[in-house]
Amino acid sequence: MAEKEYDVLIVGSGASGGMAAYSLTQKGLKCLLLEAGALVDFQRQRGLKPVYELPYRGFGKPGRLPHVVQANEFNANQWVDEQQVPYTHDPKSPYNWVRVRMVGGKSLFWARMSYRLSDYEFKAKDHDGFGDNWPISYAELAPFYDRVDPIFRVSGRKEGLPQLPDSQFIEDKSPDGAALERIGTAGKSRGMTVTKIRRSLGDGQFASSFNLLLPAAQATGNLTIVPNAVVREITTDKATGKANGVSFVDRQSGRELHAKAKVVVLGASCLESTRILLNSKIANSSGVLGHYLHDQFYISNGVMGVMPEAKDGKAPRGLVAGAGYIPRFRNLKDPKTKAKNFLRGYACDLYPGATPDAKLFPAWGAELQKQLDTFRGAGIGTTIMGEVLPRFENFVKLDPTVKDAWGISVLNFQCRYTDNEFNMAKDAVDTISQVFKDAGFEVLNANDKMHPPGYSIHELGTCRMGDNPKNSVLNKWNQSHDVKNLFVMDGSSFVTSGTQNPTLTILALAMRASEYLAEQAGKGAL
Amino acid sequence: MKRRKFIQTLAVTPAAALPIVSESNAETPVVAQRPQEEAPKLETASLDAAGETMPRFFSAAQLAALKKLSNIILPPLNSMPGALDAGAPEFLDFLIGKSTAERRQIYTAGLNTLNAQATKRFGKAFADVTDAQAAELLAPLKQPWTYEPPADPFARFLREAKQDIRNATINSREYVTAGSSGGRRGGGVGQYWYPID
Ligand SMILES: Cc1cc2nc3c(=O)[nH]c(=O)nc-3n(C[C@H](O)[C@H](O)[C@H](O)COP(=O)(O)OP(=O)(O)OC[C@H]3O[C@@H](n4cnc5c(N)ncnc54)[C@H](O)[C@@H]3O)c2cc1C
Repeated sequence: MAEKEYDVLIVGSGASGGMAAYSLTQKGLKCLLLEAGALVDFQRQRGLKPVYELPYRGFGKPGRLPHVVQANEFNANQWVDEQQVPYTHDPKSPYNWVRVRMVGGKSLFWARMSYRLSDYEFKAKDHDGFGDNWPISYAELAPFYDRVDPIFRVSGRKEGLPQLPDSQFIEDKSPDGAALERIGTAGKSRGMTVTKIRRSLGDGQFASSFNLLLPAAQATGNLTIVPNAVVREITTDKATGKANGVSFVDRQSGRELHAKAKVVVLGASCLESTRILLNSKIANSSGVLGHYLHDQFYISNGVMGVMPEAKDGKAPRGLVAGAGYIPRFRNLKDPKTKAKNFLRGYACDLYPGATPDAKLFPAWGAELQKQLDTFRGAGIGTTIMGEVLPRFENFVKLDPTVKDAWGISVLNFQCRYTDNEFNMAKDAVDTISQVFKDAGFEVLNANDKMHPPGYSIHELGTCRMGDNPKNSVLNKWNQSHDVKNLFVMDGSSFVTSGTQNPTLTILALAMRASEYLAEQAGKGAL
Repeated sequence: MKRRKFIQTLAVTPAAALPIVSESNAETPVVAQRPQEEAPKLETASLDAAGETMPRFFSAAQLAALKKLSNIILPPLNSMPGALDAGAPEFLDFLIGKSTAERRQIYTAGLNTLNAQATKRFGKAFADVTDAQAAELLAPLKQPWTYEPPADPFARFLREAKQDIRNATINSREYVTAGSSGGRRGGGVGQYWYPID
């Protein structure tokens, strides 16, 4: 059978690949989407079970998913099996790589926090001199954010903050609750603001490529989705050096196949796209492919606050009314916000009404139970999210000694946080603790040790964009400097992370890049 | 296709595609024509309803110390079962026995230390100490929680054991059923993902 040649071959069906499919098919391009995972029927794949019926009473099979702190025995089968697709690192420098392989990718499970980047990120070097600017500005991406927002139905409240541009919100009119208002008032002198969280509502059950992007793309008649297709490498035309398709493996049988296309788009997630490029031995004339790996460091409950008036179940009405968010307030234009020993800044999710974990009480037996009863619902949980500086020294490369279940070389991680992150974490915990106290709350526990890199599931960089082909892999259209008909549309293209969760930006970039691709294809320029 | 319709189609297709058994087995036409939904539904019980876990990993002295520790960490409280009622020590014998060498070592060394300290300070095994004596030995649990585990292996053991004993109890059949029958929170039920083919 003759191989059919598609206009565009897309690898991956998550937020990035899904948005590429959505945008390209609307422009009339015939797309083939290869997805390593299965098409999951949620009705059949999941079922309610009591925890005591699980073989390991909810602890999970020992050693099964050592890097996925988010895994439990209920959801263990939703994550990529670490034995099937392993990766390596120095045991002293762990990296928590959290992966999903299914049609829809991680967008099936994300927490949907949806924030825009600002020019504090896009033009970070202009602001503080470190690293590089992105080759685009906020103004260039804003029209695409504006079009992504209504698809994902982002809820929030207009705040007018330069470091956190507003979306086209479905307005969140719910009250803040007195606890958040008190934190906002106490933090004001430090330039701190407390905002609503911003969240993609989607259709309620999902806010995923699975329901918001892929069905619309298929409705054009221009999209063929092939699940269970594990892409091994991009193939190139020897004469032109251009991509001409990919070789891939049937996930279930191991059969090797090849698919042809005029253009290849990678949306396999930040590190899987880079792995495909490294295995393909292309797009790396700069030598920076795999480098500048960064993310956001996370500290879960770095500060556990307590609302004294809410102890013993006595929270007054109106004290607690949903979660809040402290956007970055360090190292902004105002000199008063300058931090003494770190660049960039951090943000913080706030959860008034939390119940502190039993581990935080230095007690056991009846005394512990008494404490738990007293503090139930009286806590203020936090997640501190700090910008990690992108450094050449943090990178992934192929591990020549280890292969996955399909014989594809795996990644080796070399990634460490540095003093900038450690100092920032300390400042975050000290400052938020003090603000809680100023607001009349207690601090039950404070901890400035972050989780290992990768934990935030916001891995970024390794295939970064830039104007200079000597120090970047992609141009400002997510297009390879070296291979003109190759685009990489996921988080690997990021130059800096900011403190904001990245998916809204991944979606906006993928939409923008796809429309450029379609325009160039129309001109015969690819 | 609208999503609801798509799901309906998926739900109908496999049944329709199954071969009709009567075509391949003429002797049993009645059974064969029974619609698939009528397959008998048998009630089953969980393993823990049928028997008790047989300890295989810890020595008798270690298990005795773990039982004592479990009862101190989570005794029966407010008419809820305690760790011993929930078989937490026996379950942990199984779980730790299946765990990494490092985790096994933390437990065996920790339980040995409990017994050795009890013998040294009170002249008896940990299983036999009074509550006040036990409280002295568990002093490391009075330290504030830190993200990094304590450097002292005994303190680390106590911290891990506290968490594991509580989870093994709270996730047990005994605890979950007592919680729901007492009209308290239902608890203990979650959305389970079956293995993906
Ligand atoms: C629990 C959780 C909570 C999160 N919360 C948030 C949040 O609140 N806000 C936020 O912004 N972000 C959040 N994230 C991160 C967010 O999900 C990701 O940023 C985003 O989904 C990445 O999209 P992607 O398309 O780049 O990658 P993915 O979603 O990983 O999709 C990539 C797809 O490519 C496929 N693939 C990989 N390798 C191959 C190959 N070799 N061949 C073929 N296919 C391949 C994979 O199977 C996968 O389906 C969260 C993630 C998780 C898991």
